[in-house]
Amino acid sequence: MNNYMESKIYTVSKLNKYIKKLFENDFNLQDIWILGEISNFKLHSSGHMYFVLKDKESQIRCVMFKGNNYSLRFMPVDGMKVKVRGDVSVYEKRGEYQLYVKEMVEAGKGELYLAFERLKVKLKDEGLFSEEIKKRLPLIPQNIAVITSPTGAAIRDVITISLRRFPNLSILVVPSLVQGVSAAQEIARKIDFLNKHFKDLDFIIIGRGGGSLEELWAFNEEILARSIYNSKIPIVSAVGHETDFTISDFVADLRVPTPSAAAEMTIPDKNNLINNLSLLKSKINRAVKRNFELKTEKLNSIGRSLKYQGPENKINQYYQYIDEFNVRLSSKIRHQVELYEEKIKKDSQRLDSLSPWAVIERGYSVCRKIPGKEIIKKLEQIEVGSKIEIIISDGKILSKVEKKEAVLN
Amino acid sequence: MKSKEKMEDISFEEYLRKLEKIVHKLEEGELTLDESVKAYEEGMNITKICLEKLNKTKKKIEQLVIEGEENYSTKPFSEKKGENTINEL
Repeated sequence: MNNYMESKIYTVSKLNKYIKKLFENDFNLQDIWILGEISNFKLHSSGHMYFVLKDKESQIRCVMFKGNNYSLRFMPVDGMKVKVRGDVSVYEKRGEYQLYVKEMVEAGKGELYLAFERLKVKLKDEGLFSEEIKKRLPLIPQNIAVITSPTGAAIRDVITISLRRFPNLSILVVPSLVQGVSAAQEIARKIDFLNKHFKDLDFIIIGRGGGSLEELWAFNEEILARSIYNSKIPIVSAVGHETDFTISDFVADLRVPTPSAAAEMTIPDKNNLINNLSLLKSKINRAVKRNFELKTEKLNSIGRSLKYQGPENKINQYYQYIDEFNVRLSSKIRHQVELYEEKIKKDSQRLDSLSPWAVIERGYSVCRKIPGKEIIKKLEQIEVGSKIEIIISDGKILSKVEKKEAVLN
Repeated sequence: MKSKEKMEDISFEEYLRKLEKIVHKLEEGELTLDESVKAYEEGMNITKICLEKLNKTKKKIEQLVIEGEENYSTKPFSEKKGENTINEL
């Protein structure tokens, strides 16, 4: 019963320390080269690299510290075949043994990776990834289907987020394997089935949570790619793999990084939509009200201008017009008068020059009969002995005709 | 007014676009009174239709059960026991 009292008791850390020493003292485990394929590669923000090295049957955890990896000529990715040099030792904190990698060289790309690249090129050349054939998702989906594992976090996330955004949504869960050899075929078959029997679906989300390249492999298989391509219903590819794309991502009508993102990006926020609608509604209300106000204002201003054009105003306007006219008229008249004055002045000057007085002034004289004051122009008008007056510039001379004598021309 | 079927043909997006156009026209303030009354009525009608569209679907979380090549049934979807079922959300 109390056997342990007699044996020595170790702490966990003592045990792990001992095991670690065993590893480190075994030269078969120190400074060795290992060939394998990288999987679950993570570059930590500290600069250390964590990954798993694997072959078909087995795997080992690896770490490559910053001090060792900074001189790497390439960025390791999942699926890459590499040769690494390092020591096997124990990470005491977790009691896990791992490979401490000091050097890494490429050993040709992994088979999966190559298969992926080959298929990608082939399908791309066939036009399966073409942007023009991608279908648009409706803004307001009513019926959607989700093909995924019915037990994973993925389906729970999709449903929770979708219903939070749009509470009255109809979601059809289509359970399917999402990893393993038959997964691709099963998902493909379900896409075909939905196309046949659920034509009213707005779109189908296919996906799963994150995983290694192997775990996501179903989404890189040709059979699934072709089924997505042939689907009349839009397909959303939601494979949880932030950094790399899957073939499904390329063929699908919409690619999102995770199942949660699928819900966030495809299901509209109903509250937002309703707010938007009421915003537009109140905008219409405001605009109509403003329109009425504008019209009323216009009416008022027309009323005011009518008043301006009323008889009272017309009369005033005429008054003003008449006043103005008067001013214009009188100035015109003044001008006319001035013109006349000028003319008269000129005329009178001319008249002056024609006046007999001007001639008399120059030394001529006029003879008139007395009485009668008839100007004498011809001899026959007078008799010898009759009285005449001679008018000169400063008076007149009374005279008597003594003789008449004709001038012969 | 448009018939029910015709209403279905027009997508929510198109309705929103129409609504925005109406707002724009009204805000320009160049409509006659008659026209703005008409625009107002159309706008109110469209918001009503949009709201109807938003509320049309019933919440339904179902699981597809495929039975052979052609047959299927559906059952309410719920997760494993012990956890909150989705339908309670």
